[in-house]
Amino acid sequence: MLRACVFSTWRSHSRKRGLSTAANNTLSPHHSIYVSNSSNPYFNLSLEDWLFRHKNHKEPLLLIYRDVPCVVIGRNQNPWKEVNMVASRTTGVPWIRRRSGGGTVYHDLGNTNFSIHLPRSSFDRHATAQVVLRAVRSLGVDANINDRNDICVGKDKVSGSAYKIVNNRAYHHGTMLISTRLDVLGDLLRSNKPTMETRGVASVRSPVCNLQQYEPSVSHEGFVEAVIDSFRQEYNIEDSTHTVEENVNTLGIDYIHKGMEELPRWDWAFGQTPEFTYNISRTFDWGTVTARIRSKHGIILNCSFELPDGHQSISDDLVQDQSRQLEGQRYGFLDETKEGIQRMMEGPGAEIWQWLKMEMDT
Amino acid sequence: MFSAIRVASRSAASARTFRKAIPVARAPWSTGFVRTLVTKRYTQDHEAVIFDDSTGVGVVSITDYAQSSLGDVVFVELPTVGTEVAQGDQIGAVESVKAASDIYAPISGSVEEVNGELNGQPGLLNKSPEGDGWLCKIKLTDPSEIESLLTEEDYKKHCES
Repeated sequence: MLRACVFSTWRSHSRKRGLSTAANNTLSPHHSIYVSNSSNPYFNLSLEDWLFRHKNHKEPLLLIYRDVPCVVIGRNQNPWKEVNMVASRTTGVPWIRRRSGGGTVYHDLGNTNFSIHLPRSSFDRHATAQVVLRAVRSLGVDANINDRNDICVGKDKVSGSAYKIVNNRAYHHGTMLISTRLDVLGDLLRSNKPTMETRGVASVRSPVCNLQQYEPSVSHEGFVEAVIDSFRQEYNIEDSTHTVEENVNTLGIDYIHKGMEELPRWDWAFGQTPEFTYNISRTFDWGTVTARIRSKHGIILNCSFELPDGHQSISDDLVQDQSRQLEGQRYGFLDETKEGIQRMMEGPGAEIWQWLKMEMDT
Repeated sequence: MFSAIRVASRSAASARTFRKAIPVARAPWSTGFVRTLVTKRYTQDHEAVIFDDSTGVGVVSITDYAQSSLGDVVFVELPTVGTEVAQGDQIGAVESVKAASDIYAPISGSVEEVNGELNGQPGLLNKSPEGDGWLCKIKLTDPSEIESLLTEEDYKKHCES
């Protein structure tokens, strides 16, 4: 309800200002300033990638968008380590692997995302952070930039940044917390798996706050305008703002369409997970079992077990059987119709299997 | 694997200038009977390939220019040995502090070897991108593909464009 309300306010706001709309004609990637009216993260991330790869690489570009609640992980991160899968399922908030680097962030309509695209040769993380910092300061918030080029107020982060560099183009995109549900953010980004060791990139956890805590008058609309002004000034741009609708025309752009299909697919979302190991132990009535699961690209490479001393209730054959059955399966998506699996589903064998399945599901 | 990306990078590849291979170095072991030519070529996506025509193998790396704009590399994802790759396929990923970049196959062929040192020392990509920081060795399916890549001179122009 609230979501719909906030959204329609922005729509009428933009119409009042007479911004040009790409709703009735084909969207061109050659403008300089875009504001998306869609709040679909799959659409917005694919739109961003399309602009990144189709705009003239020498010209600056700005895209601003908001998304409905979702968790967005970095290109080379481990979703099982970063996302609280149980919270994601119970709240229905999806997680998405983006194409840029960096750590995990939470999006909702209280958070506004900016994306500044530049030629690789003139790309400078500090300079683009300054563009956004000036916008925040113009709204009356005394913000600063930390050593990771994130925007903070005092010691609390209000904005996280990430970058993508391909061919002769680069972008700096980031979040801006205006009135985000920080409690939901905390629940979703707490995965609590200290014994999961992962290659790739880990998130740097930081205390966060909303801009509205410091300046209650800050709104999405105000921030959008401030960033556009700051961007225009920095790069001497006179081009007007182009709003983008998610409609038949934009969804019909092949590159955007394919990008939206790719993001939720297993191959991208899970299959791009760097190698990791997960050590877990559990005490059953008959003793304690330790399992060490090794996985790469979302596939279980192997699983080894340590069994209780003098174990009589469980045979080495059974454990070897379990290892064999797990090998090559998708982590978190165990196929139980595989031949031979039902044979192990008795007594300790079944208990171990159910336990591993549950651990991979959290 | 990354269909959309592949399409985009293929179209970039087709726009590359076609040039005759120019030997950049002559291996010291070449004799009067076996003429070994080592050719170094580049892609628009900032990969370099050193191709040895006596073995048919190309050593793939990212260029010094690529590493300098990425900054300190913290993670490198390499392809799996034995994988068959087509020119323009995404074969890996590099991440520096919060910046992700993709690695595309400069030529088609099969991955013969990967540089395992990079798993423990991703910083080799910064220290010696075109030397100790090499990414993988690809046995070319079609050695003439090397000629479709950029010469050093063309690559320099591309970086400045």
